[in-house]
Amino acid sequence: MSDLSSSMSTSASGMAAQAARLRLVSENIANADTPGFQRKVMSFEAVSDMFENGGRVQTGPVQLSSAERPQVFDPGHPMADENGYYQGSNVDLMIEIADAREAQRSYEANLKMFDQSRQMTSSILELLRR
Amino acid sequence: METNPHIASQLYTNAQNIARPEGPQSSGSTLFADMANDFMATMQAGESAAIAGLTGKADAQTVVEALAASEIAIQTAVSVRDRVVEAYQEILRMPV
Repeated sequence: MSDLSSSMSTSASGMAAQAARLRLVSENIANADTPGFQRKVMSFEAVSDMFENGGRVQTGPVQLSSAERPQVFDPGHPMADENGYYQGSNVDLMIEIADAREAQRSYEANLKMFDQSRQMTSSILELLRR
Repeated sequence: METNPHIASQLYTNAQNIARPEGPQSSGSTLFADMANDFMATMQAGESAAIAGLTGKADAQTVVEALAASEIAIQTAVSVRDRVVEAYQEILRMPV
């Protein structure tokens, strides 16, 4: 595999990783009001195969955030205990939106790299056509 | 100027050795067959990725990656074919 095509597939792996990250963010935001919901986080890992496709990124296992879940006071809630509190979710919308924006920027950067290697391959082939 | 035919022939032999390509020689037909097989594999991967994308089984970046790879493979094949045909025509136009 040539360098340019392998850089294209590396960029594609970066885009796939950012898409998976954005999926987790939207799951978190969708469950921001779910009682007892734990925020999902995911780590990125470099693919350890150094020769064939080293440098590609893959997503690690999904983990649940262990941040403390707030006690929400709402005596009318079906899940409220005898004191009127129930356990909320530990999703912070600020963090999720910042995470989503970061995923978007990183996706765009990978897309630019993909497009650039495609253009470089095309323009070197243009030389053969005259 | 005095010339030594022996030295000249030795230099010529050395130059021939330099010009000879090194490494194991594979015949041109095998190389072309390998290239065509690679091309076929890339095209088939592109087609199956496009089908998987249309049926919702693959994500967008996989489809785009496979389609870009097959686009580049087509460009390469077309350019090489054009050059080969052009070279043959050049030979045909050669006055005998």
